[in-house]
Amino acid sequence: MTQMVNLTIEGRAVSVPAGTSILEAAKAAGVLIPHYCYHPGLPVAGVCRMCLVDVEKAPKLAPSCATSVAEGQVVRVHTEKALEARQGVLEMLLINHPLDCPICDQAGECELQDYTFQEGRPEGRYREPKRFNPVEDFGGDVIYVANRCILCTRCVRFMDDVAHHPILNVSERGDRAVIGKFEGEDMTHPWAGNVIDLCPVGALLSKDALNKARAWELDRAASVCPNCSQGCNIIVEARDNTIVRMRPRPNDDVNKYFMCDHGRLNYRWLNRRDRVDVPMVRQGATLAGCDWERALAEAGRIMNGKRVFVLASPMLSNEALFLLSEIVRRSGGAGAFRVTTGPEAPLPGVEDLSLRADRAANVRGAELLGFSRRDKPLEGLGAGDVLLVADEELVGGDAAGAAKAGATIVVGTTLPFWARHAAAVVLPIANMSEEEGTFTNLRGRVQRFMQVKAAPGFARPSWFVLGDLLGTVGSTVSSSLPSEVFAALAAARQEFSGLSYDTLGLRGAMIAGAMAEASA
Amino acid sequence: MSIHEMGGVEAPADTAHGRHAKGPYQPVFVGARKQELDELLTRYPSKMASLLPALWMVQHDRGWVSEEAMAEVARLLELTPAYVKGVVTFYTMYHQHPVGKYFVQVCTTSPCQVCGAEEVVDAFLRHTGCQELGVTSPDDKFTVIEVECLGACGFATPVMVNEEFIESVTPEGVPDLLSRYK
Amino acid sequence: MGYPHKPHARETTVLSQHFGDMDATTLQGWRKRGGYVALERALGMAPADIVNVVKESGLRGRGGAGFPTGVKWSFMKPGDGKPHYLCCNADESEPGTFKDREIMRWTPHALVEGCAIGAYAIGAETAYIYIRGEFTEPIDRMEAAIKEAYAAGIVGKNAMGSGKTVNVWVHRGAGAYICGEETALMNSLEGRRGNPRIKPPFPAVAGVFGQPTTINNVETLVAVPHILNEGAEWYKKFSRPDNPKSTGTKLYSVCGNIARPGNYEVPMGFPFRDFLYDLCGGPLPGRKFKAIIPGGISVPIQNLAEAEASLMDYEGFVAQGTMLGSGGVIVVDDAQNLVKFIARAARFFAHESCAQCTQCREGTAWTTKILERIAAGDGSAEDLDTLLEIADNMTGKTICVLSDSCATPVVSGLKKFRNDFESLIKKKTHHLVPAVA
Repeated sequence: MTQMVNLTIEGRAVSVPAGTSILEAAKAAGVLIPHYCYHPGLPVAGVCRMCLVDVEKAPKLAPSCATSVAEGQVVRVHTEKALEARQGVLEMLLINHPLDCPICDQAGECELQDYTFQEGRPEGRYREPKRFNPVEDFGGDVIYVANRCILCTRCVRFMDDVAHHPILNVSERGDRAVIGKFEGEDMTHPWAGNVIDLCPVGALLSKDALNKARAWELDRAASVCPNCSQGCNIIVEARDNTIVRMRPRPNDDVNKYFMCDHGRLNYRWLNRRDRVDVPMVRQGATLAGCDWERALAEAGRIMNGKRVFVLASPMLSNEALFLLSEIVRRSGGAGAFRVTTGPEAPLPGVEDLSLRADRAANVRGAELLGFSRRDKPLEGLGAGDVLLVADEELVGGDAAGAAKAGATIVVGTTLPFWARHAAAVVLPIANMSEEEGTFTNLRGRVQRFMQVKAAPGFARPSWFVLGDLLGTVGSTVSSSLPSEVFAALAAARQEFSGLSYDTLGLRGAMIAGAMAEASA
Repeated sequence: MSIHEMGGVEAPADTAHGRHAKGPYQPVFVGARKQELDELLTRYPSKMASLLPALWMVQHDRGWVSEEAMAEVARLLELTPAYVKGVVTFYTMYHQHPVGKYFVQVCTTSPCQVCGAEEVVDAFLRHTGCQELGVTSPDDKFTVIEVECLGACGFATPVMVNEEFIESVTPEGVPDLLSRYK
Repeated sequence: MGYPHKPHARETTVLSQHFGDMDATTLQGWRKRGGYVALERALGMAPADIVNVVKESGLRGRGGAGFPTGVKWSFMKPGDGKPHYLCCNADESEPGTFKDREIMRWTPHALVEGCAIGAYAIGAETAYIYIRGEFTEPIDRMEAAIKEAYAAGIVGKNAMGSGKTVNVWVHRGAGAYICGEETALMNSLEGRRGNPRIKPPFPAVAGVFGQPTTINNVETLVAVPHILNEGAEWYKKFSRPDNPKSTGTKLYSVCGNIARPGNYEVPMGFPFRDFLYDLCGGPLPGRKFKAIIPGGISVPIQNLAEAEASLMDYEGFVAQGTMLGSGGVIVVDDAQNLVKFIARAARFFAHESCAQCTQCREGTAWTTKILERIAAGDGSAEDLDTLLEIADNMTGKTICVLSDSCATPVVSGLKKFRNDFESLIKKKTHHLVPAVA
């Protein structure tokens, strides 16, 4: 039984477990205490001195990140004493800080800007020359603009205690101190890019994202990383309908505050321009664009009375895969998928967090919805079956299998080369950044992803298209909204029972029985 | 490991190697030095605690702590070179580049300042041929720097030449003092 | 090598009685002078009894904080199953202080004995003596003494035949004043950057290597054998009748513009005026005392009136606007540029800041730059206000008190010697109005 402690913060009564820091207790009370070096995913340092609060009856201001709550404490965050102390810290941080805002990537999402604007002095009093340190390439995706560094040491603590790869240090002493590393040891660790998110200012920046967009120009959506089966929660950010950056979103049960570099930097495929953006039907040797009604009708005609074999991408959402599985079920057919794999890369300081071998977001979902995992997925195709390829590529080894198909329907984001000659109907869909849906991660956690940009041309959400396609073979799954499709999925599949978009929220929820067994 | 065992006033044998090093890096911790390090490791419950003493051994043998030496020490103590470098750059007594045969440190903190330490520094700069603080003399013999309180304030001005601690240095006494260093 | 002066008749030479006597540095010589009698007795006592004697004596930490030593030792819980450690703080780097070096040079065995008793009293089998890297001769003599002590079985696995283990090792620092701060010392001992730690946890709970640790100054530890030999009551006699809170003798390191600098040992409560003019010989010919700092550069500067009215103990100096601190007496006379002196003190702190806390890292350097600008004649009246506000921001807000220590000479200097600053400040002409041709 955890002992609870009751205290008052800025006049709000709050009750937290013993051992909680005043800063975390303040969060629980809805009070933000300004801070830099503190981060819930890192060990406490207590060095920035920004979080000093006024505790009644205490002679000195207390560093709230490093002070545990005590019964009956009365904490004030905005007394004159505390405000002066914070203003003092801000002034001190700015004396050597360059006036880089106009050229600094962090502008608009910079904690130094934010707190200075909120509580800092309107002008500085420093009249001496500022110290200068050169920019350093730390390797990997990380560039270090030393002049902007406020020595919060979040990056050092991350590499030490979370990545277990202590290649960053604090070098020198006093106002000569900088973050340093050793020649030959670079930030190529699979999780090193997190220091960019952790840096409160524009000292550690992403080379990939350098100067691509201003923070306030970005469209943002909460999403799930599609690049492996871990299912890290992310924020996808786009400018002018092009994704420029993906960053982690906190989820205590999946990825804490982090995502790996493989996931972070692999967003360009979501920006591909070589998209199929109009429905097409075969006219002799070519595919001709047409309207949706015609394309869907043709597809329905092709599938009528035939077995349908689905080759699905494990990148498709649960909603899309469910609708495909219904098509399979009604036609007495089968479905399979193939997964690209790569080396795993765990983050040692966090339990059960790793770049997973399966480099696709919804392998578990595909398995749960009845698709078989095969190296040669088309071996299950029967002669004369309708081959329905859902956002997948065919590779050389598939040719023999594909040749057995009576007809091929392609539902996808891009038009594969072989489809120009083989496909009877092509239906364009949105990719995961252009629609809403859910993925199931390797542990059985179902998580929602949101839309951040518009699909090209006439492409429609995958669940919308597949709902219509299912309708052409006589099903009545309601598919005007993705939540309706998910509801149908939850009603039809026992593992998903009880789940809904409402219960999933933005943190996700486990499928039934997920705790008992673990997936690969 | 006493200072006399470490070499006292004599310049470390290997400084020439350090300054004009040719050929691949030769490890420090072989033979007797390795044995000393192994004995040192028994005094502490963690390997990391032997870091400062190990760096002193490197500096005695080579005259300075090079990056290769940092990597060697890191490997032996199961640390990363970046970590070792962070420690080396914190402590001012470890040289991160080769220095003159005789490294002269003059205290100029406030108590010595009011006793004329600045004149002592000037005298050293003049009589060693070093044009500036921190810059080795053209004959590679001397490097002169100002340091913070050496803890001999009542014997102003204290000066260190390599490992030798000399008290009560006056500007007039500097030429005589320097003549001891060949 | 510097030799200490012959003791003044009014000194009370307890710790310093063998200063200058080379024979006292050897084991044989030390034994002849009554050494290791206290250790032998201590090893036969219950540790708690030793702690009580030290508590009763009123011995307070001589490094600068003045915390009651016996109370500090009593924080170490016996029988907790964890290895305990004693760290001797021989990092003496507080400007103005040079007493510990003398203790180690001339009576190294006194420190071995003090460490051994202290370690045993707090349940520790290992004592580390952290000596600053620049103290080459003290290190040499301590290493030699320890070697002798091990060879003679005084320390080691079966210390003096008691069956108890007491190890004493020297650990050499490498040039960082901040490593004299007890938690920074522990970090440095562990092979880390000398960054002070946040307290809690306190060293007695989780110190070096995460284990219960006590850190004591050199001068504190070498007093212990005397206290055990002569008794707590004897130690308490060295005090003012009206102030039992400060007991024992204190080694004061005297430096700066004074006729006879050096270390002087006097009992608690000695009149500072007599100390300065009689024992230390007063100012240099033709000069007058101007500013006195009795406890190392980190304590407030006194003007002459305050100094002459001070009684030399913890409470006595507080009553005269300063602190006893480390007992490093820095004397500045009227021929000196006090602003330059304070600027150099700020430069010292800026050089030594570990860089963790924002106020210290930036504030020490900023303070230095402003003061140097003023000393060079390029200061303004606003600078003085700015200095005081920076000093206020640097006080009471950081992990350790280096930041506060940098602010202290600035604040006390401006408070008591404002004229010195103002005389250096140019009367600035208005830049916005063009000069009349």
